[in-house]
Amino acid sequence: MMRKLIVFLLVVALVLTAFSVFGKTKLIMAVHWSDYQVEGVKDENGNLVKKGLRQYVEEYMAFHPNVEIEIQSVPFDEYLKRILISHTSGEIADIYVLYSLWSVQLVESGILDSPPKDVVDKVKNDFVKPAVDGTTIYGNIWGVPIEVDNYALIYNKKLLKEAGFENPPKTWDELVEMAPKLTKRNEDETISQYGFAFLSGWDSAVVHPYLALLYSNNGKFLKDDFSECLLDSKEAIEALEAELELFKNGGTDPAASVWSFPAGKVAMMIMAPWYETSLKLGFKDEYEETVGVAPIPYMKKPATVGYTWFISVDNASKNKEVAWDFIRWMTLVDSNGFTRMGELMAKNIGAIPPKKSDIAYFTDELNDLYTSVFVKELEHTHQEPNVAQGQEIKTILMREIVEAWNGRKTAQEALKDAKKQIDEILAEFY
Amino acid sequence: MRIKSPNKRTLAGYIFLLPAVLFYSLFFGFPVIFSFIVSTRRWNMLVPLSRARVVGFSHYEYLLNNELFMRALFNTLTYSLITVSVSLTIALIFAVLINGAKFSVLWRFIYFAPVVTPQVAIGTIWGYLYRPNNGLLNSFLKLFGIKPVYWLTDPDVALFSIMLTAIWSGIGGSMLILTAGLRNIPQDYYDAAKIDGAGPFKQFWYITVPLLKPTLLFLTATGMIGAWQVFDLPFIMGRNAPAKSVMTVSWYVYETAFQSLRMGRASAGAFLLFCVIFSVTLLVLWTFRRGGIEGYE
Amino acid sequence: MNKNKKAKVRILLEFIRYSIIVFGAFWMILPFFWLFSASLMTPEELLSDVPKWLPAKPQWNNYLEVLKRIPLLMYYKNSFIVAITVTLIVVFTSSFSGYSFAKLRFPGRKIMFRFVLSTMMFPVFIFLIPVYYLMKLFGWLDNYLSLIVPFVVSGYGIFLMRQFIMTIPDELLDSARIDGASEFRIYISIILPLLKPALATLGILTFIGQWNSFLWPLIVTTSSQHLMTLPVGISRLSLAFSTTETQHLILTALVYQVIPMVVVFLYLQRYYIRGFVLSGFGNI
Repeated sequence: MMRKLIVFLLVVALVLTAFSVFGKTKLIMAVHWSDYQVEGVKDENGNLVKKGLRQYVEEYMAFHPNVEIEIQSVPFDEYLKRILISHTSGEIADIYVLYSLWSVQLVESGILDSPPKDVVDKVKNDFVKPAVDGTTIYGNIWGVPIEVDNYALIYNKKLLKEAGFENPPKTWDELVEMAPKLTKRNEDETISQYGFAFLSGWDSAVVHPYLALLYSNNGKFLKDDFSECLLDSKEAIEALEAELELFKNGGTDPAASVWSFPAGKVAMMIMAPWYETSLKLGFKDEYEETVGVAPIPYMKKPATVGYTWFISVDNASKNKEVAWDFIRWMTLVDSNGFTRMGELMAKNIGAIPPKKSDIAYFTDELNDLYTSVFVKELEHTHQEPNVAQGQEIKTILMREIVEAWNGRKTAQEALKDAKKQIDEILAEFY
Repeated sequence: MRIKSPNKRTLAGYIFLLPAVLFYSLFFGFPVIFSFIVSTRRWNMLVPLSRARVVGFSHYEYLLNNELFMRALFNTLTYSLITVSVSLTIALIFAVLINGAKFSVLWRFIYFAPVVTPQVAIGTIWGYLYRPNNGLLNSFLKLFGIKPVYWLTDPDVALFSIMLTAIWSGIGGSMLILTAGLRNIPQDYYDAAKIDGAGPFKQFWYITVPLLKPTLLFLTATGMIGAWQVFDLPFIMGRNAPAKSVMTVSWYVYETAFQSLRMGRASAGAFLLFCVIFSVTLLVLWTFRRGGIEGYE
Repeated sequence: MNKNKKAKVRILLEFIRYSIIVFGAFWMILPFFWLFSASLMTPEELLSDVPKWLPAKPQWNNYLEVLKRIPLLMYYKNSFIVAITVTLIVVFTSSFSGYSFAKLRFPGRKIMFRFVLSTMMFPVFIFLIPVYYLMKLFGWLDNYLSLIVPFVVSGYGIFLMRQFIMTIPDELLDSARIDGASEFRIYISIILPLLKPALATLGILTFIGQWNSFLWPLIVTTSSQHLMTLPVGISRLSLAFSTTETQHLILTALVYQVIPMVVVFLYLQRYYIRGFVLSGFGNI
């Protein structure tokens, strides 16, 4: 009797476990975030201080016991490579966090799933314009934007004051005039303190600030239908010449590095929101009295440039509906006045959440001396164009700009060469 | 003098090679054939390969007419010739100096330090040393009244700075192999030479160098093969220099594949690189054979 | 008098010799020193524009912090299993094939040797996709095999072994053959013992290569975290853009990564014992 009961119970247990295994829907989510953005930030005693993605996912799984979500995080530099390689072998993630520029190729190759209509409508209505533009490819929306970045002028208040400047430059001409006066040289003519330093080292670093000037000069990068590159226009050449002015008048040189800013060796630079923590670490107690943020000095009208990350679902996923449901829960559903993704962005990752209600809610995080300027500048932000081969095109432009910085080409020559190569690529696709 | 029938030794020769042959057909043969097919397609790795457009040899044609690729080839040629010859010469000198010296285990260990340090860390550290305003190297030059050098941003200098780091980090590995080679030279040779009155320099030139030739051949050939594929150091250290002055072929292949998503063109670049390295290696083997090591290829 | 002069010259030469060795050693040890010193710095000190060679106050806490942030022991275990297995197999397969190329005569030898050389001549990037595909095909993606098998034969190793085995005189092998030893027996009892320094060299280099290997382990272990190796684990510490917050921890973790190689190096150095090779064979 006892034996029978045990056997019976065992069978029941087996069947139940079997059901709970087979009944579970498994989702794989690929992100480019680091350990504490995924696992959360903990204090000395191991208590959770800031939630990471994992905590939200667990919360979701607690509500939906039949769903299991696995997070696969890959460092940013290797992220796209890893997606491509596993994708070719049919190993896909269900949910991707994607950089807007990559997604053009993904859309063209039919990799992404079209979002449900309610998701599209919410994105159109509830998110800031640069983010909506970033998520739009060939006129359609392909996911929910989760992070929007743009650029502003960061300056060292103390160094400016030392040189007799009370305010940061408003126009580019003012900046060009101020930079040499903020530059100090050693006896051997090398620069010990830079009036201005350009970001450099990777494509966006060089290209984004240039595009900001281009837009500010009423110029355009590409025709709207992407049939032609417009870098040979008068506006484009003037914008690059405006950068070169700083090299000519000694306000900067090609060896300048924005990473010396926290050491007080750079007076002005153009930077993105994610540099805040480094500045706080670099200046410690003197952070508030030293760091100033202002819109990028303009040429003809105020303008800056931005880029977007968004979250989307693989077309080949077997559980698209569940995946979109998780995305809705994470990025669209209001939980006490904010979205969970908005909280993760504002509190843990330190980026600007693109949903209007989140921007309004997280005033403590977004209204400080650093981020508030970036948030205000969202209205002047032009999303970099979502063009096929965007990365390749950007690299070409970067290389030509660097040639000009180094005096190997004039602005006109560099941009003419860039246009020629970019037009060849556009011709392949448009 | 043949002791056993050649047949048996022939058979043994094949049997000894069996594991390698099996391995290579799977992990080398398949990927290379696959990549060759890819090199004749236009493939972004997102659509199935079968749907990729066939473009024949147009990628090869494109690359041979592409300014940046040709510059990359030229940069890599400069890089491989200089780093291999300089680093090998220095390694040989130090291997001989340290061999038999007091504390040789300690010295060998110290000289080997860069080899165990990941290239990323080496790039970072030398980045510090190369800083124009307050880097160690420039403050050193200052002592001699030399103007500061823009090591990593000056287009005329950047590649040489990277080569300097590469030479420095390659000494330890070559030294280790040369030391193992030195161990194989019978002490009798030196004893006999001493009796004949040969000084240390004569011993080095007439005994050490000739007997190390198989090892030197190995180091030159593999050094060349490795240098032609150099990626890490230029990729880390050359980011702020104009690309034309520091771009290498492997870097070009990498960027074309995983940033521009043009796997076809990247594979074609890889095959062109292969052709160059293969010819260079045959040239090295031929030079050594003419230099009098018969039987060593 | 003459003798005295000679002794003086010798002392001078020895002095120059050791000066050069020490001068070189200074430059060589610099990165090690900096790495260790930086591993004890605060993020602020690392950010400082003036390069600091020593931390104001050593932050030993960095070492504990790394242990808290990532499961270092698990990464160590995985790295060890992979590196040691690959090293042992590579040493075996390399000497095996190297012997064949160096001492056995068979048709096609030259071509096959050139083929082995040619396997080293393609940039690694073109192998990623096809080899990943094979791993998936074999079902090895959640298994150590995907980290080990693609590396168990090395063209470099075969070439190295071949060059060393060539320096072993044929007379030695022929006399064994007269005694009726099989080729396998010769390989085991004559070749391997003579090869010790070379095997140790290959072992050290292979171990280091595997221990520091990053790209391939990253690609195959993303979906199976329990297989992550040390460099992959360390990379999880770095943030998307701004690495300043964790830069010091990454350097500390690098020290953790380098230490075992010191041990391996010193251990394998034992096989560099002087003068036991060949010295008894007179003129060759």
